[in-house]
Amino acid sequence: MSKKISLPEEELVHALRNHEKIAIEALYDMYSASLYGIISRIVIDVHTSEDVLQETFVKIWNSFSNYSAEKGRLFTWMANIARNMAIDKIRSKDFKNQLKNHELENNVTFIDEQKNTVYKPELMGIKNLVETLRPEQKSILDLVYFKGYTHAEAAEELSIPLGTIKTRLRMAIQELRKHFN
Amino acid sequence: MKDVQSYMESGILELYVLGDVTPQEKLQVEEMIAAHPVIKVEVDAIEHVIERYALEHAVEPSEKQRNRILNSTVTYLGDDSNFKPAKSQREDNIVYMPAPKPTNFYKYAFAASLALLAAATWALYNTRTKLEQSNLQIIALTEQNQKFANRVNLKDEELNVFRDPSFKMVKLKGTPKAPNAGVTVAWNPVNKKVMIDMTDLNLPENDQNHQYQLWAMVGGKPVGLGVFDKTAADSTDMKIMQPVELAQGFAVTLEPRGGSTNPTMDEMVVIKML
Repeated sequence: MSKKISLPEEELVHALRNHEKIAIEALYDMYSASLYGIISRIVIDVHTSEDVLQETFVKIWNSFSNYSAEKGRLFTWMANIARNMAIDKIRSKDFKNQLKNHELENNVTFIDEQKNTVYKPELMGIKNLVETLRPEQKSILDLVYFKGYTHAEAAEELSIPLGTIKTRLRMAIQELRKHFN
Repeated sequence: MKDVQSYMESGILELYVLGDVTPQEKLQVEEMIAAHPVIKVEVDAIEHVIERYALEHAVEPSEKQRNRILNSTVTYLGDDSNFKPAKSQREDNIVYMPAPKPTNFYKYAFAASLALLAAATWALYNTRTKLEQSNLQIIALTEQNQKFANRVNLKDEELNVFRDPSFKMVKLKGTPKAPNAGVTVAWNPVNKKVMIDMTDLNLPENDQNHQYQLWAMVGGKPVGLGVFDKTAADSTDMKIMQPVELAQGFAVTLEPRGGSTNPTMDEMVVIKML
């Protein structure tokens, strides 16, 4: 594995604004796995996921001027781009046709690649804590974050009132906050 | 402040971070962030959590992707003279397998099978029809053959009747009731045989309910020798009747089908006294 580049967020944002080559490399090394985690869970198909990841980076790169640090963190902005592109992809007619042809083969590859889940020493122990999220909290968070559902669709899927969905989503995030702090 | 608190607790900030808000809601939240530092802090905390959550669920893309993606972003800069276009990366790793040509083999095979089936069915039907005809012919020939054999036998017997000097040919003549009627009875007093020559049978046809009955006069009394029919079809048989030894005469009457114990004298058609 090549040496990874990492920069503090402020420096990274600055370098991205200046379209410095090192910036896109750092951006990739720091965030590709997190973004790919989101994309691949929504898209499932490996090759399509990789295409969406590429498109996501191209879009981040090209429309970086739209990012405003005052409105939020860099990752939040990128994650929303990644998720929207992944959702657009799976809802496109093209993808639905392609899926019919390649489903089986690609799922095997996907399972293989799932094993590459990043190992991060600083996250040791957190996994267990996340496991302690109450199932209904986790399911809602994952539906919205990893399955590309809107909270309204999640409410319908789980047959839970919209208000309850919002509350549980908030409770789940509150729970995670406690553990991460 | 209380409004701010309930705004934070409504869950809208979480949805904002997750990107699950309408453009109007997004603007509204951004206004609130700008206006209330406490909301800014809250949103920041949520963003941190979500980012950690994403990191925890990170999936490393395959190593090939790094070059491919970095090249493609740089290419978009317009500085593509230093980098290969992204596509070539892909081509290095992908072996293009030509899609198999759609083949009409099965279509034609199916059509050929159908044609063959039709031809076979037709041939089978023809053969079957011929076989049926042949079978009918065989039956007809067998019947004919049987008839001939019977006929030859009969002729032999008839010939014997005529050869045998002990046979008497008794010609029964029509009564006033049936003046044109005539029946020939061959009688052998030695071996008691009695036969009617069906070739020489001049009687009106009997109906379904009646039959002719042959009688012999024995000791002045009529004795029934059996019944026979006069049908439209000509017969060449010699019909063998019941034997009688001492007959003074023969007569035929028309009786109810099956015959009677005593002759109905009114229905006597032929008679001959010896």
